[in-house]
Amino acid sequence: MNVITATFNKTLKEFLREKSVLFWTIVWPIIWVFIDCFVFVSGAPKKVIPYIKGSITISMMTFALTLAGMANLPGNISRDKERGLLTKLKSMPVSPWKDFIGRILGLVTFSCFASILVMLTGLACGARFSGTIVSVFQSIIFFLIIFFASAGIGLIVGTSIRHVQGAVMTGVGISVVTASISGLFVPYWSLPSILQRFSQVYPVSSANAAIIYLLLGESYVGYNPLGINQVTTTIILSFSLFVIGLVLYSKFCWRRE
Amino acid sequence: MLAINIENLYKKYGKQMVLKGVSLKIQEGEFYALMGPNGAGKTTLAGVIASVILPTEGKVEIYGKKPQFMKRFISYVPQENFSSPMLTGRENLMYFARLMGYSKDEARKLVNEILEKIGLSKDADKRVSKYSGGMRKRLEIATAFFPNIKILILDEPTAGLDPSARREFLGLIQEMREEGKTILLVTHIGADAEIASKVCLMNEGKIVAEGTPEELKKKSGLKHVLNVETPVKSEKVRAVLSNFGEKGLLETDTGYRIYCDNAENVSPEIVRALDKIGYKIMKIGIEKPTLEDAFFKMTKKENRDEIDERDNSDFQ
Repeated sequence: MNVITATFNKTLKEFLREKSVLFWTIVWPIIWVFIDCFVFVSGAPKKVIPYIKGSITISMMTFALTLAGMANLPGNISRDKERGLLTKLKSMPVSPWKDFIGRILGLVTFSCFASILVMLTGLACGARFSGTIVSVFQSIIFFLIIFFASAGIGLIVGTSIRHVQGAVMTGVGISVVTASISGLFVPYWSLPSILQRFSQVYPVSSANAAIIYLLLGESYVGYNPLGINQVTTTIILSFSLFVIGLVLYSKFCWRRE
Repeated sequence: MLAINIENLYKKYGKQMVLKGVSLKIQEGEFYALMGPNGAGKTTLAGVIASVILPTEGKVEIYGKKPQFMKRFISYVPQENFSSPMLTGRENLMYFARLMGYSKDEARKLVNEILEKIGLSKDADKRVSKYSGGMRKRLEIATAFFPNIKILILDEPTAGLDPSARREFLGLIQEMREEGKTILLVTHIGADAEIASKVCLMNEGKIVAEGTPEELKKKSGLKHVLNVETPVKSEKVRAVLSNFGEKGLLETDTGYRIYCDNAENVSPEIVRALDKIGYKIMKIGIEKPTLEDAFFKMTKKENRDEIDERDNSDFQ
């Protein structure tokens, strides 16, 4: 337990004290919540505006989670690689698995913190949701699916890119581009059909659609993301990404040369 | 008691053989320095002992056991600054203490003692990003003050430190030695190796010589060295000086070191010869040979052509 709690504390403190991490994961999605809530909903009927804002808020919570997983996690791993900490850890009686669990728990906690701040901003901007207690719990599971997919991609990036800046920018790039083309920033129905297909397959956007479906209804999604095939694909892809990332991390970051 | 035992160690990276049959024995409590230029294989050897690099062939034992089973007793300080700049000095040490298996209370107590010992108590709650290079290095070496640590492996610890921080740091290493810990210092700086009880000179993956600093200097056969400091370095100066260094000529950061038997008689001649071609000398003096001189002399004997052409700036 010592290794897990020590790594958890270290990871969480590093995330909370790094200005660039705070900007990309918290401030950046919050800025988008403001922009979207006050600029892009003006033409909609008054009655639905709070729910459109709710949909925007959920998407930005997802965006915060993807940035945490895809940019902060690889940044954290690359930084530890670059400054020789992983070499030091390899020489110590530290299990790679315990180090990994500590890192992931630190990231989960930080991601929750970021998502809650984004949600509070959305609520302050007038966002409303219409889900039940059960659908809130189901949504949390989908947020976890988003987290695993993002962390998986983050582990792949962090393992394959040595330099911190390169790893962070690659993570930011992947999260922004995939968010743009999978309908996180724009409504599903405005996407071309090929991107609509991608949006249904990409675990981050399909899980995001499932949360919006659960908390706001189908009319804010554009399709039913809770079909058995759809949910199974989302779960399998998300966990596959995570497992691939985990295998690469343990193989390449902890391997004795 | 034998702390580290290495027999016939080979390490190959791709097609390149980095360690070529290295054998050495380090006794418990010894301060052992591994010295050599960049690319000599020192860091690889330290990495193998610290269990972060796998050997291709050969035997490595720490107190008679494989290094991976002795991790609790080894503290490896790599070249890079591995402490987290986002955490305070205390938080960094707490992190390593917890990784070593100490409970929260034990770790807290131990960290306070160690901070006191390394003189960082006052700055313990400052973030490491605010530390000077010397303070950061002291913090990192402090991980070796945990009671269970028996062997400390330091890879180029004084690189990048100013002279005062370097002296402070070497003082700290001496303190560790007084605590009975076995110290393996990897360095390319001769002055750092001078304080070791035993020095191993490495070049191109092989051990060139081993002994106390005095033994090695004696072994080199050098009695005096002429140190010539020049404002400029040029091929012309080098060509002139090489006429006087019948035992060799080493280029340093500030000028040249000339290896010759009759240093006293040669000095005025050197001044005249350089003056003749229009070059001035800032300082010229006869000095006792250093470990770097001994290394140069020994490797020159072994592999004359390559050493002559070597970029001697590898040594400071």
